[in-house]
Amino acid sequence: MAGIIKISNLSYRYPDGTLGLNNVSFDVEEGETLVIIGANGTGKSTLFMNLMGILDGTGNIEIMGLPLNKINLKEIRQKMGMVFQNPDDQLFCPTVLDDVSFGPLNLGWDSSQAITASQKALALVDMEGYELRMSHHLSFGEKKRAAIATVLSMNPRILLLDEPTSGLDPRSVSKFINILYTLKSQRQTLLIVTHDIFLTQEIADRVLVFSEEKSPVAIGSYKEILNNYDLLLKNNLVHQHRHRHEEVVHEHEHRHGYTHEH
Amino acid sequence: MKSSDNLLESLDPRTKIVSYFAIILCVVLTPITHLRDFALYFLLVLAMSFLSRITPKQILKKVCILIPFVLFVAMFVPFVKEGHICCALKIGIFRLNVTYEGIWTFLNIMVKSSLSILLLVIASSTTTFPDFLKGLDLLHIPRLIIMLMSFMYRYIFVILDEARRLIRARSLRYFGSRYREQFRVLGYMIGVLFIRTFERAERIYHAMILRGFGGEIRSLKRFKLSYKDILFIIGTIGYLACIVSGLVHKIEHIKVNNTRLWQGL
Repeated sequence: MAGIIKISNLSYRYPDGTLGLNNVSFDVEEGETLVIIGANGTGKSTLFMNLMGILDGTGNIEIMGLPLNKINLKEIRQKMGMVFQNPDDQLFCPTVLDDVSFGPLNLGWDSSQAITASQKALALVDMEGYELRMSHHLSFGEKKRAAIATVLSMNPRILLLDEPTSGLDPRSVSKFINILYTLKSQRQTLLIVTHDIFLTQEIADRVLVFSEEKSPVAIGSYKEILNNYDLLLKNNLVHQHRHRHEEVVHEHEHRHGYTHEH
Repeated sequence: MKSSDNLLESLDPRTKIVSYFAIILCVVLTPITHLRDFALYFLLVLAMSFLSRITPKQILKKVCILIPFVLFVAMFVPFVKEGHICCALKIGIFRLNVTYEGIWTFLNIMVKSSLSILLLVIASSTTTFPDFLKGLDLLHIPRLIIMLMSFMYRYIFVILDEARRLIRARSLRYFGSRYREQFRVLGYMIGVLFIRTFERAERIYHAMILRGFGGEIRSLKRFKLSYKDILFIIGTIGYLACIVSGLVHKIEHIKVNNTRLWQGL
């Protein structure tokens, strides 16, 4: 399998001097789902911003064989789409169809091509019939799905999803997981940033763990990573808190989403 | 594109923008003393509301929301404007003089605003905002202005929501007193809202450029002027020209056998 994304020695500092990324290196294979997990503020979203060329760090990024630079930026952005954490940042047009067709129209497609691609993307996220709905009147879950459609309509080969399940209710999360499975079955390369361990074990082929030092500390299959309890604990991905066993309240480390016995 | 049986809805947005702009321009520039002209403008607006098939109840409902704002601004004019005193009101030790000039100015504001608001209600009921923006774009209004209007329309609710959350957060921790301190807090809140809006604008811009935005507004709809649009513009501009040029006035004064024509009819 060819490395569709190659990152080596990527570092980034914000203008105020805060370290955003510290010597990040890893590869992503074509068609795989790589889930990037890490605590808040570990640089996961900053990594995506660098991959999309919004932030300009030091080091090398190669996407589909093209080095990320100003010359290749347009071509790379046509092939790699990013879904933002907050769907209100992604949906800026009055209607859903306007939003979903924004990308295709800007790629120079004609109206009928743009409408066909938009309807296909909306069908993929289970939002047929939403075309003329006002974007700002949608529920949060619907906005999240519409935000994915805005990128899918451009037929990207790589999809970056920043915290896709944050703020969603359980039903919306399961709808979202179904969408991700559909994309996986279509051999879409997916990079997902999350700290949702449940989503990670559901969808990941490989998992990359970001430490609080803003650099990756481990990469491996989801089983290897999620079963490495010490690694998860050290990187603030599981925590210790009190919990209840019927009438008994006591304190010990445990992972959310897992049952355990005493 | 869905066809509409409502004439005003089916017109090209350019036609409506040009026609409404022409009507408002004439209304604003006509001196208030030409009351007959205003009656004719009112007839034109009435005809448009008939064509738009909006019920009078719907129109009145919307007009009644906007008129009080105008009334609030205009109601003080008869007392403030200097001129020939018409009557005086005595409230306690205060004496308020109402002037003829003030009354005319009040009428000027009220009549012109009411006509403009009526037209605005008809326009907003028969043209969607995206179509209106596309119409402006096709009329070569600067893109920057159109983008600003578009974002204002899209994000006003988001910003209002953000402001509401800030106010809620403040009121949950405010227990009265220290009024002067509250102005400082209000200043902080405005500042925070500004920063959040600025940051959001940056994120939206990123989302736009990631989807290939290069500064040009593209739309799925293709607008085309039809014979209905041409007839509508000619009809509206012709009617306005008759009023403004005084033709109506002249027709009214045509005499046949020493009797005014319209009286004979």
